[in-house]
Amino acid sequence: MARAFKSTLRGFSASLEAAERKLLRGLFQDVITLLEPQRAADEDPLWAMVGLDPHAHRADFAPPSDPATKRLLPDADPEDAAASLEFRRLSERGIRERKIGALREAALLMESGTILLSDETAPRFAAAVNDVRLVLAQRLGLASEEDAERIHAQDDWSKAESVDEYLALVYNFVTWLQESLMQAMLKSL
Amino acid sequence: MTAMPDVLEHVEQAQAHELDQPYILIIWNDPVNLMSYVSYVFRSYFGYPEAKAEKLMMQVHREGRSVVATGNREKIEADVSAMHGFGLWATLSKADAA
Repeated sequence: MARAFKSTLRGFSASLEAAERKLLRGLFQDVITLLEPQRAADEDPLWAMVGLDPHAHRADFAPPSDPATKRLLPDADPEDAAASLEFRRLSERGIRERKIGALREAALLMESGTILLSDETAPRFAAAVNDVRLVLAQRLGLASEEDAERIHAQDDWSKAESVDEYLALVYNFVTWLQESLMQAMLKSL
Repeated sequence: MTAMPDVLEHVEQAQAHELDQPYILIIWNDPVNLMSYVSYVFRSYFGYPEAKAEKLMMQVHREGRSVVATGNREKIEADVSAMHGFGLWATLSKADAA
């Protein structure tokens, strides 16, 4: 049985079973795959490292076609498509890299049964878990407060028969984990 | 040759004007982000006290959106980038367009 996050002298600590850690590691990897930028073969590695691409044309920074990726990287100015594209050109690469960094770190933390987060690591872990929830919610078609309540009501693993029912249980598990971490982090602010 | 400095100055002034215009950062409600997480981001990133963070978070939740910061375009763009990093649904807008 998983034990939720709590504040300890050494940091924020939770315990997860091997199967739960494997599940979470897979979810972190899935979101990394969604976010990895398409790299051009002749890309300048220095510009790639700083997350900018001076040669990129605005058209290369069209909004993501996958709705889950679009939710992770929304338009910055919905009233102004050109401004949104310009924002993507300047910022999207960096945001993707930061998210991927946090997700990789979270996946590595799944190596051990005791998850121990420092004050510095905890916000990145929370953001990685949040990105997983955003993607799962998109796949589940969770679009309203009513959807959220319906999905939240599913809590019996023995009754999960469809992929959506299974995904709903996974979503609830990840939500429970994040909520326990947020309560512990809020108390220590 | 003499026209050059004038032209340059004019362009710089126009850009400076654009950069000085006040912008707002809007956070939109979504049914996924936890209230605790949104409060945490408002407190830790903006440095807002607990009461202000809670008030803004509840405004997002109940009214669908909240203006959580104002500033010049450069500052608000950096805020949007940070909020997207956290997974919050953030947009920017000219202050008068709100």
